[in-house]
Amino acid sequence: MTVAVAARAPAGIRHWLARYGWTVGVWLLLFLLIGWYATLIPSFGSFTIASIAKNSLPTVFLAIAQAVAVIAGGIDLGAGAMMVLANSVSARFMEGQAAGTTAVIAVGILAGAAILNGLVGWIIVRSRVPDIIVTLATLFVFSGVALMVLPAPGGGTSGGFRWIFTGSTSGIGTNFWPSLVALAVPTVLVALWLRRTSRGLSLYAVGSDPDAAYLSGVKTARAKITAYAVAGAFAALAGLAITAITATGDPRFTNASNGTLNSVAAVVLGGIALTGGVGSVVGAVAAGVILFVLYPILTAMSIDPNTAQVIRGVLIVAVMMAAGLLELRRRRTE
Amino acid sequence: MTDRAPLLLVRGVEKRFGSVVALRSADLTVRPGEIHALLGANGAGKSTLVKILAGAISADAGTVHMNGEPVRVRAPSDALSTGVATVFQDPALIPDLTVDENLRLTGVEAGPVRETLDRIGLVGLDLDAPIKEIQLPVLRVLDLARALVHDPHLLVLDEITAALPADLAQRVVEIMRERRDRGRSVLFITHRLSEVLRVCDRATILRDGRHVAELVPGEGGEDRLVEPMLGEVSAAVAEPPAPRAKAAEGGVVLEARTLSSREYLNGVSFELRSGEVLGLVALEGQGQDRLFDVLSGDRPFDGGDLVANGAPLRARSPFDAIRRGVVLIPSDRMLALLPKRSVRENLASALYNRVSRWFSLLSNEEQLVDDVIERLTIDTRAHREARRLSGGNQQKLAVGRWLAAGFRTLLCFDPTRGIDIRTKEQIYTLLRGLADEGSAILYYTSELAEIPLICDRVLVMYGGKIVHEQAAATADEAMLLRAAHGLQEASA
Repeated sequence: MTVAVAARAPAGIRHWLARYGWTVGVWLLLFLLIGWYATLIPSFGSFTIASIAKNSLPTVFLAIAQAVAVIAGGIDLGAGAMMVLANSVSARFMEGQAAGTTAVIAVGILAGAAILNGLVGWIIVRSRVPDIIVTLATLFVFSGVALMVLPAPGGGTSGGFRWIFTGSTSGIGTNFWPSLVALAVPTVLVALWLRRTSRGLSLYAVGSDPDAAYLSGVKTARAKITAYAVAGAFAALAGLAITAITATGDPRFTNASNGTLNSVAAVVLGGIALTGGVGSVVGAVAAGVILFVLYPILTAMSIDPNTAQVIRGVLIVAVMMAAGLLELRRRRTE
Repeated sequence: MTDRAPLLLVRGVEKRFGSVVALRSADLTVRPGEIHALLGANGAGKSTLVKILAGAISADAGTVHMNGEPVRVRAPSDALSTGVATVFQDPALIPDLTVDENLRLTGVEAGPVRETLDRIGLVGLDLDAPIKEIQLPVLRVLDLARALVHDPHLLVLDEITAALPADLAQRVVEIMRERRDRGRSVLFITHRLSEVLRVCDRATILRDGRHVAELVPGEGGEDRLVEPMLGEVSAAVAEPPAPRAKAAEGGVVLEARTLSSREYLNGVSFELRSGEVLGLVALEGQGQDRLFDVLSGDRPFDGGDLVANGAPLRARSPFDAIRRGVVLIPSDRMLALLPKRSVRENLASALYNRVSRWFSLLSNEEQLVDDVIERLTIDTRAHREARRLSGGNQQKLAVGRWLAAGFRTLLCFDPTRGIDIRTKEQIYTLLRGLADEGSAILYYTSELAEIPLICDRVLVMYGGKIVHEQAAATADEAMLLRAAHGLQEASA
């Protein structure tokens, strides 16, 4: 008996497609939708691009946060609340401050969120209470704290801070480059970190097979805690983006719960297995933008908002079912 | 030379899992520059000891010294710093990552691993292939290559040659010799005694979690290795088996003809007749798990034929096998039962497959279930949840479900694992009774002593094949254990 090591000839392409096929598909779907949107509205130009780019930032950052947690075999239901908390805290303390001060506050919030959510990860690891329960609790806790910091919508920020995310000190304009950079840079950095560094790969490892990861010498507890810390930072980044876009803080609970649900939808649509270890944040980013873009598209088609919600839900299920069928066919032929 | 300070010194290590004692008092001494075999029958505690050395689990008592220093490995990530690298039976590789990513994950350079792989003879392994697409033998070798990069003082190989094709196994043996020549040590856990005789300098034998012998394999034959593995005949088993009427010469109800499945089954053939209990014996990892998966319809087979009641059986799922009267009793009873449901509900659950009309079900169910409860004398006090029953009653319930639904062939996979001796006897009686009524029973057991107590014939499986067959009445443990190690002189 000999062992066949070499697979069929185009193994490289096959492996690449098996891993990144979905990601490519989601990005194609996104460009298709944007192209379609361009034909739906009379004036598609830099203003529209800027609008899509900046307004999808919170969804995208939250999708990345959720993606990192899910890849590591967890789930962060508290992500939406962390976003609202960061939004509330930043709006409360950035109001009336100079650009430099707001930047310092922003960095502080990101660091604080990473530590706080890392602590959540530590609790999950040590207590062995399932992720979904602990983070369900943090969804309520963080939402409550946000309301304590900022009891009613309000607050503000500096023009400079608004420019970083929106390309304009007033939050409205046609300069879409800063928003695109704000979207692309964290995405690329976190994607490279996850796939190229041993610490990043340890997240995939604990999500894919915790036992094998442990036996091969991966510090599984550290990996899980890291995942939650990074997720916390990205959720907070989503909150900062809201502050920059709207120049207010909005501590209402529905923002938190909607944010969490959207992030889970983005992760699933983005091709990340809820069982962990499979998928790419790059796919989740495209899915996040898709979930946002659907609103203006359905509005442009003058579909009423309630029906639009139904369509969004049906679309998610339809895409997942189509993908499931494709996967089934692929397995049959192998 | 024999007086050199030991590299690894294990003394009095104990480990229990709940009420099960895996290690009672394990001693092990490995010297620098030797290949040391760790031997023992199933459940002797070999794997537990390996896991303790690797830091995957911690010992309840006892000491481990490396180079004279006491060590306590808290986690596998610490093991390398003590100079121990372990290659586990199940490769510690992440299925969803590529080979390259797995190496990077553990901080190992791809270059040296590639060189080692080339040396072992795996030229051209695609480093960008995901682990889940690579065959098990290759993964074992890859795991070995990764461990070798660290140049460990002690390389622990747990069943690495099992399921390895002969050429790769030979390469692995050469690698072990190379380690020895360089003054490094190897702890080699295996069931292949011929390899032990060929390459090992010394051997430690465990039985029931205890150190029972340390010897030089080269002096004396394989029998000297097998003997210490056997326990004394336990008092409970000493009672001679009641003479049985010769198994009714029933017709063949299940026949396997050169069944094969991946690397696990390599042409398994046997006949199972109605009215007999056919025993099956094998060391761990010889393909018995896969055989039961295939027979019960849980996994497809690649080659050969399976015939049930005269017609080919190609089950796509357990449902198909059950419809043809082939049912499984797994060793994990909780897997077979609905743990939180009552006895009656459990018994009725199997009926849903058979009764298609709901109205007839409603009228029939009570009666069928009552019959079964009465027949098996299942303790139904207070209609208790199945999980609260004793192990024996659970196993009766698992059999009883099929009794209600009707079956011809019962596949029992180690049904008495972890059950006390009195309950075991009840299960023997139950199964014997079923066979006498014309059922056919295939009975895999990890306890050789059970064979003469319940079986009519016994098969021995080794390396994915049936290598031995004989009447159970004439089988003794030593003979079966030798056959299970692939030591049959006259090939079956």
